[in-house]
Amino acid sequence: MFETTRIVLIENSRSLLSKIRESPILYLIFTGTILFSVFVFAYAFFFFVNIGINLDITLEDIFFTVFFLFLLKSGADIYNNFVKSSSLSYSLSTQVNQKKTIADIFIAVLLIELMIWFSFSLLFLLSLMIFGIDINYPVEYLYFTIGVISSVCLGTAISIFFFSPKRYRIIAPLIFLGFCFQLRQPLYVVLTLPLAIVHATWSIKNSMDSHLFSKRKERIKDKSNIKIRNPIKAFFHRETTVLYRDKLLFSFIFTSISTGLFSGYLFVNGDEILIPEAIRSQIGGFLPSMFMFLGIYVVVMYTSVFPALNLFLNEEKTMWILRHIPVRNENIIFGKVSSLSLCFITAIPFIPYIMIFTGVDKLVFLAFFLVFSYIAGIIVSLPLGVKYVGKKSDIMLLYSVSMILFVFLGIASVVVNLIESTFTYPIIIYVLIILLEIIVLYISIKISSQILSLKYKLNR
Amino acid sequence: MISVNNVTKTYGKIIALKNVSFKFDNSHVIAIMGENGAGKTTLLKLCTGILPFDSGEITVDGYNIINDSIKAREQIGYLPEMPYMYERLTGREFLYYIASLRKVTDAEDRIEEITKMLGINDFLDYEIGSYSKGMKQKISVTSAIMHNPKNLLLDEPVYGLDPLTSRAIQDFIRNKKGSTIIATHSSQLVEQIADIVYVLMRGKVIQTSDVKNLLSKYGSIEEAYFHIKDETNV
Repeated sequence: MFETTRIVLIENSRSLLSKIRESPILYLIFTGTILFSVFVFAYAFFFFVNIGINLDITLEDIFFTVFFLFLLKSGADIYNNFVKSSSLSYSLSTQVNQKKTIADIFIAVLLIELMIWFSFSLLFLLSLMIFGIDINYPVEYLYFTIGVISSVCLGTAISIFFFSPKRYRIIAPLIFLGFCFQLRQPLYVVLTLPLAIVHATWSIKNSMDSHLFSKRKERIKDKSNIKIRNPIKAFFHRETTVLYRDKLLFSFIFTSISTGLFSGYLFVNGDEILIPEAIRSQIGGFLPSMFMFLGIYVVVMYTSVFPALNLFLNEEKTMWILRHIPVRNENIIFGKVSSLSLCFITAIPFIPYIMIFTGVDKLVFLAFFLVFSYIAGIIVSLPLGVKYVGKKSDIMLLYSVSMILFVFLGIASVVVNLIESTFTYPIIIYVLIILLEIIVLYISIKISSQILSLKYKLNR
Repeated sequence: MISVNNVTKTYGKIIALKNVSFKFDNSHVIAIMGENGAGKTTLLKLCTGILPFDSGEITVDGYNIINDSIKAREQIGYLPEMPYMYERLTGREFLYYIASLRKVTDAEDRIEEITKMLGINDFLDYEIGSYSKGMKQKISVTSAIMHNPKNLLLDEPVYGLDPLTSRAIQDFIRNKKGSTIIATHSSQLVEQIADIVYVLMRGKVIQTSDVKNLLSKYGSIEEAYFHIKDETNV
């Protein structure tokens, strides 16, 4: 019973343990970042409770945020452990019913998500307890836990059907999901858990289609733009070709546009939506700039941090190519980083779309802060990606990079606001800052190339 | 010429190679045989600079694989056991990519010539992700030999290939100048093209012999391998 569940859990935990053993100090920092951020959230909660400000963030908002995050995480985990898994063919070829094997994987993913939920939530509750906030809400906690189970069921169904040849099947779980978000009632999600389980069961019943469909080899022909290039250009061309063929560039552009529109809307209406009228005039002023900041942060995470990290994390099975060719590590990194310039172009649509709401006078600030944040994203991500070259990214790494960048950009945005209010022509200061940042980027590339060399030499 | 002096390689607590020394001279085809996990693939990866090692020294045509790694790698062509490549590139794009990195001047002609010899030229404009194992092997072989390397390191070169292509590769190796090192389980391949055979067992060299001598003594390389294994108490 549950052999596959056990194997998936062992595989995941051993992979994490081996990374921790390989870089204990870095993982200590990652753990510290996670603990710190949970503690900061608890403190923010304590702060708002104590000063009596009601930001109109309700339990429902938090419930659906948690629900959405676990929906994404479980969808990604099902994709990695089932839809795209190569090692699965062994267990699928045994006499055990294939649906049982896939159900085992679903249970493994459910256990992983529940473990993450319990660890984070208990840590958060412990922090609240330290601040003296009453945490005696067992029913609400039960609601949240059932919400996590429900989101894993729906995430599984959506992930499986998304990769199915009969993609229309995704409509049913999407309608159910739409109802969950439309009604905004945790109780609705709790009561409809059996329905979510039915969706998961239905998707598992039809899951082999998705596995086989995603494994099917399509003969795709392409004869464009083939020539001998210098090594840096060759790396640039390879990276950008893969980005283009994986259709990632289109998804980047879509994210930039939708984030621009969404944060622009909140820039204009955020005060009204989130802050009670009684105190709007006192504390409402900081929200518009916060939404601009958050918009840029999201775009940069998507178009700079993820591709920059994956430049080297993705070389899992192809490291032999980079290792045996006669090219300096520095050139490899320069070539790969240069491909991020194409990703930057996909971030630009954010500016015109947010300006529909903010007006043209914010153009200089937006352009500067987007460029600044984009380069900062590369500076932070590149050495970490190189450090874990050839290893799959894990949630701790992604979370830590996003937190480091959030803190850094948060401080930077305060400084930029100060510059805006102090200098008449801040554009000169902005140009100087960008030039300085380019020097730091160069140093980051140099350090990354040293890390790539040291990784090889230190084993001696 | 590849020279391996007292090289030790460990994976955690497991000793993959212990104080191994070789000298792979030019104008020789050298076969490395041994059971699974004996250290054959590890040895080739160390010689190409793909893996780091714990102690010892490796030089390729006089260039140290660690300190003069770029110069050393220029002299090498390598075919891995599992030829993983960038699946979203076409075969032609991949070969031009490697040719760019290796600065092959006559890449177009070389690619045309080799892929024709291997019978893969009609499939070069399809994405590698859609290739069969044998087709990937052919692309990988092309990338290993297109720059005419002085030292060729091949890990199971004919595994997964059809008989015609296998014969073409054997002919190529036989006529090639410089040293060729082959890690293989195929005693038939060793008999057909190798001059010298090294037998590895649990990270140690237990036998170095001339293939002709072994054939005259035991009749076949397979028989010779079993005798060597039985005689040695490792």
